[in-house]
Amino acid sequence: MSASDTASGKGRSYFWSAAILIALFVLVPMLLNFLGRSYLYQVANIMMIFALLAASMHLVTGVAGLLQLGHAAFYGVGAYTAALLAANAGWPFLITLPAAGIAGALMALLVALPTMRLVSIYFAVATLGIGQMLYLILLNWVSFTKGPNGILLFGGLKIFGQDFSKPAMAYFVVAIVAAASIYVIHRLSHSYYGNALRALREDDQCADAMGIDTVRLKVVSFTISGFFAGIAGALWAHTAGYISPPDFSFNVSILILAMVVLGGLGSLPGAIIGAVILIGLPEVLREFKAGDLRNVIVGIVLFASILFMPKGLVGEASALDLIRRQFGGAWRSGAQTGRIGWK
Amino acid sequence: MINRRTTLLLAAAFAAGVSSPTLAQTTYKIGYQLPLTGNTAQYGQDFKNAAEIALDKFSKAGKPFKVEIVFEDSRSDAKEGVSIARKFVDDKAIVGVLGDFTSGVSMAAAQVYKEAGMPQLSQTASHPDYAKISQWQFRNITTQAQEGPLNAEWMYSKGIRKVAVIAEQTDWGQTVVSNFADKFKALGGQVVFSEFFNRGLADFRPIITKIARDRPDAIYTGFFYEDGAQFLKQMKQLGLALPVHSTSAAYNAQLIALAGADAEALNLTATFLPSNPAPQVQEFVAAWKAKTGQAEPGQFPAQAFDAVNIMLSALERAHPNVTRASLRDQLAATKNFPGVTGDTTFDANREPAKKLVRAQVKGGAFIAVEK
Amino acid sequence: MDYYLQQLVIGLSVGMIYALMAIGFTLIFGVLNVVNFAHGEVYTVGAFAGLIIITSFAPPLVAVLLLVLAVGALTGVGLERLAFRPFRRFTDEASVKSRAMREATLMSSLALSIVAREGIELIFGSQFQTVPLKLLLSEPIKLGPVTIVNGDIIIFVTSAIMLLGLQYVLKHTQVGLSIRAVSNNALGARYVGIDTNRTIVWTFAVGSAMGAVAGILVGLYYGAIFPNMGFAPGVKAFVAMVMGGLSSIPGAVICALIIGVAESMSTIFFPSVWQELVAYAFLIATLIFFPRGIFGGARERV
Repeated sequence: MSASDTASGKGRSYFWSAAILIALFVLVPMLLNFLGRSYLYQVANIMMIFALLAASMHLVTGVAGLLQLGHAAFYGVGAYTAALLAANAGWPFLITLPAAGIAGALMALLVALPTMRLVSIYFAVATLGIGQMLYLILLNWVSFTKGPNGILLFGGLKIFGQDFSKPAMAYFVVAIVAAASIYVIHRLSHSYYGNALRALREDDQCADAMGIDTVRLKVVSFTISGFFAGIAGALWAHTAGYISPPDFSFNVSILILAMVVLGGLGSLPGAIIGAVILIGLPEVLREFKAGDLRNVIVGIVLFASILFMPKGLVGEASALDLIRRQFGGAWRSGAQTGRIGWK
Repeated sequence: MINRRTTLLLAAAFAAGVSSPTLAQTTYKIGYQLPLTGNTAQYGQDFKNAAEIALDKFSKAGKPFKVEIVFEDSRSDAKEGVSIARKFVDDKAIVGVLGDFTSGVSMAAAQVYKEAGMPQLSQTASHPDYAKISQWQFRNITTQAQEGPLNAEWMYSKGIRKVAVIAEQTDWGQTVVSNFADKFKALGGQVVFSEFFNRGLADFRPIITKIARDRPDAIYTGFFYEDGAQFLKQMKQLGLALPVHSTSAAYNAQLIALAGADAEALNLTATFLPSNPAPQVQEFVAAWKAKTGQAEPGQFPAQAFDAVNIMLSALERAHPNVTRASLRDQLAATKNFPGVTGDTTFDANREPAKKLVRAQVKGGAFIAVEK
Repeated sequence: MDYYLQQLVIGLSVGMIYALMAIGFTLIFGVLNVVNFAHGEVYTVGAFAGLIIITSFAPPLVAVLLLVLAVGALTGVGLERLAFRPFRRFTDEASVKSRAMREATLMSSLALSIVAREGIELIFGSQFQTVPLKLLLSEPIKLGPVTIVNGDIIIFVTSAIMLLGLQYVLKHTQVGLSIRAVSNNALGARYVGIDTNRTIVWTFAVGSAMGAVAGILVGLYYGAIFPNMGFAPGVKAFVAMVMGGLSSIPGAVICALIIGVAESMSTIFFPSVWQELVAYAFLIATLIFFPRGIFGGARERV
């Protein structure tokens, strides 16, 4: 990359960041205000929470290439931590939020340590198993988590004594937290650290041979992903005001995974777009009275997008290289020129 | 998209304007959130059918206003339930809401209704804290706080002293066990076994084997009709012949259809029995048969039928000054409403006081029993 | 003692059910190295198809099973064509090994499974279907201190036939040889002249046929046929397959039995709500000590 490339590249990324911030904090609220429906704020809040979840999973699945099937567990741990602290100890949102993140991170660490040496599909099944175990514990450890009774937060969303429970107000809180978190994830995936993770994804034996401590890297990325999932959990607990175990079932893990894959593995904007689509599409369908067909249509859309855009909507993963290699042309990636397969 | 939304908004405003009280026939809208798809869809579809029967009858009765029910599918998912709640709240024409099915979704939605001030009547939410969320929450289903002790007394009076209790692992199941067990122990009985199972469990045999080991005199169960059928069939399979008592949630003709002869002699308490000769019950049963082709409605559709009618009757009393607040007040004032599940009166905590009857499965049908 | 024995027997019978599903699942995974998320829906389709056949014609059980086998095979072929074949467009080595493509097929089978399940629900409703009671495979048979059902024997015999039949086909027939070749090295098999596409279609047909038969048998065994029925056994079959070492069918069967027994025996010591947790705990423990599964590890499966 030449110097001028880098300079204009940076300029471009500043432009995008500013554009996104303006859209998020100025344009969208103006639009929603104009339309005057609190329902839209609610949907927007859920979109942002799930965008954060998708972004946190993207760090593990997209960047590090570790397929994991139990992400909802960290979301749940974070939500329950926030809810229990708020409901039982009366802690305010500003404290339960980081506490939830830390809880999510700790749980992720606990999961990662014994499973990191497992290879791909074994790792995926192990995360599935652990995710289910956490769900069952949330459901059945009634004395601690109140089990199926769920936890009711009478306090809602209070920051410095001000009540932010109205959807329009909650929107800003969620937007700030989600945007900040996603920004951090963005920086992580575009740093040396992120590149190391990508190397890991493409070929972990190779990365290992090059001196990258693959196991430690995986564990750390998993922990960070758990942290942000926990944050998302706290956001949900405080904006919904009531949580119960079914909010964090296996289906939610699959939903988050679908968001990441839809948007494209390895692409952060893709994960966010995936979240927006998979939350927004059923609501749009509901709006147009196709309510009962919601899920079938979502399934069809998912299938069609996988079929016609296997690299996802904005993907970055090696599937892109796949296409490059097939059609040759200007996209030669150096050492891999035409030496693939049995030529 | 913006154009479409604005158009929709304008259309809605137009419609709202057209149906404003100053014109000939006022139309009030009631929102109904329920699971129309997903794995609890069978319950939601039943509620919808019952609601339509009630609304149909109401529309033909020559009332001074019309009512429209807006159904929205929540899939028993809290995320969707909350979004639907917001949608209903935004629609100024909606003055009251019915639903949801599960306590979890009802309670998450309740947070929205509490904040926005919308009366909410749930036909089946049984979580102890539901009606405590705010003065806007109502329910017309009898809670286990009433049903549990009744069953405890019934079983005790039959000479049963040692009971095994199982229930599904939901907030409702928890209340089934605790309310029954407390009363039964207070009467002098013994609960020798108490466990929960996850709803949808196909194989009850390990639990049944465990129960058999403790040698109870009878089993008290908290399950819905599908799990109930599985349980009863497998009890017969394993050769465990003990009297089984259950709650009104098990009452549904499908239980007998699924379990056949194995359901014989199941005891339960119910607020609704199709064999009740009262005219409104028979009318409902006939309308149900005509609409759905099923033999009989179960407890849950009956609850929904009553809930809709309670809401309609409150609307009638509030007319012509119908606002969300005035509707709430009229709901709270419901006294001895003659429903198919018995008379309903809301107490100061917006909980219903209902009468339960004892029933048993005899000859493939639910029959009321005396003692 | 009777009590423990009975719980053990129940565990074995539950394990056999998981094994039924695991056989087809492992066959498909072993050949294609992709997780077929839609196997649970093939199972459900088999159950519903069987129910329709029973309520329309009421043929004897064996005829029902054969018809369901056919339905399952057709469903499998359709599934392969829709969800898996389009991703085999690229046939060079790097693409075949590419993770992204594998994940794409995982998601496409998942998407199809959503469509299938929701579709079944829209058509039939989400409740338990009413099964004619005399056709339920639940006649109890007392064997001394324990009670089993005739369904247990039928399932056992069917699993044994499937397992032995599959082993025979894999070891002693041409088709089996090509299946083994493709599962060992797909690219290599192509270069040796094996028609990989046809082999894969055959694998799907056979594996799905078995899945469908599993569906109707279990549906009749419990008398519970509903759209979401494939999910729980599907997860257990998946776990059994991984525990068994991914590519070993007998291994998957044995691990399925272990999971079933673990679940059942655990109720002796813990309240039954923790049953499933035990199965998963077992899984984690196994993976920690046998990172490539109990019987696996021969090939580099990344």
